[in-house]
Amino acid sequence: MNEELAGSLVAALRAAGVNFVTYLPETRLSQILPLMQKDAFFQLVPVGSEAEGVSIAAGAALGGKVVASYMEGTGVYVACYNILTVGIRYGVPILLLVSYVGSFEDHRNSFLYVQRGVKLIPQLEALDVQYRVIRDGRSLERKVKDATRMMHALKQPVALLFTEDFTL
Amino acid sequence: MIRYECFEWLAPQMTDELVVTSLSGQRVEWGHLSKRDADLNLGSMGNALAVGIGLALALPHRKVFVFESDGSVLLSLFNLPTLANLNPSNLAVFVFDNQAYSGTRISYPSATAGKTDLAAVARGAGIEHSVTVSTLEDFKKEAAAALTETGLRFVVCRIEETVGHRKITRSNVDLLETKYRFVRYLERTEGKTIFHGRG
Repeated sequence: MNEELAGSLVAALRAAGVNFVTYLPETRLSQILPLMQKDAFFQLVPVGSEAEGVSIAAGAALGGKVVASYMEGTGVYVACYNILTVGIRYGVPILLLVSYVGSFEDHRNSFLYVQRGVKLIPQLEALDVQYRVIRDGRSLERKVKDATRMMHALKQPVALLFTEDFTL
Repeated sequence: MIRYECFEWLAPQMTDELVVTSLSGQRVEWGHLSKRDADLNLGSMGNALAVGIGLALALPHRKVFVFESDGSVLLSLFNLPTLANLNPSNLAVFVFDNQAYSGTRISYPSATAGKTDLAAVARGAGIEHSVTVSTLEDFKKEAAAALTETGLRFVVCRIEETVGHRKITRSNVDLLETKYRFVRYLERTEGKTIFHGRG
């Protein structure tokens, strides 16, 4: 992902009021991290597992933060227990920022990622997590705001899956 | 040491502290002894510590207590290095370690019945104040310090395996009601909106 797109995504998160982000760095979207680290608006929490990333974010959401959990698509599998038992069963709004590795438009797709990619949407649908695939920077701010509005309304995790231009 | 006796002592000491509980008998016993809006009974294994971390980070001026069990901590051991490095000074974690998966009703031993020392694991992860207590008096000292002092504490409470919680009538307050009660309490006491009608 180029710097301009990373900047647009960070600006969109800020505009949507997201102010608490748990993260486990990965290969596609990681340019957003130094940008958020430079901006005191964001409280960033590094984690060792996407599972705790979701649950820590849930705790912060219950404490009044507008939260996101940033992870690779593979992390959704790791965190599905937490997404289900805390996010959905308890009903906590969490924005899942997911790099959609192994998808058709993933420019770095390979045998390493593809099995996880092709099963990611069925996995989210099984969990009843609402999602949108984002392929480029057009109307990014509106799309992120749509997602946070949905998560507040639904009081459940909502996922944005980033691919194509975000994987260059 | 009996967990219920620990809770009997601690529950009346609580004022505006936030409490997150895991699953198992401690959730039932704490829910029976403390019916405060500031209690968040999660009802799942492997999540209470992480949720407590998130609350502590979001509300650094509020004291957060997490009540965990040995089985639940073992399920999410990755929490310990994360907790150590974040080091929230307003968080106190009490792990009620009965060395068994007693919820299974066949009392299958957990790793702490064998060679594993959770306080040592936590120290190895980098949590400086990580101790084990095995008497009610020592529990009271740690809990009293957690109420009055700042600094991350991780206290493993070696308890007897008990089944008293099975005689307690289960609450009919479900998870969503617990969540709303807790969030509305925070909205009142923090003076801010947490759940937005629209984004």
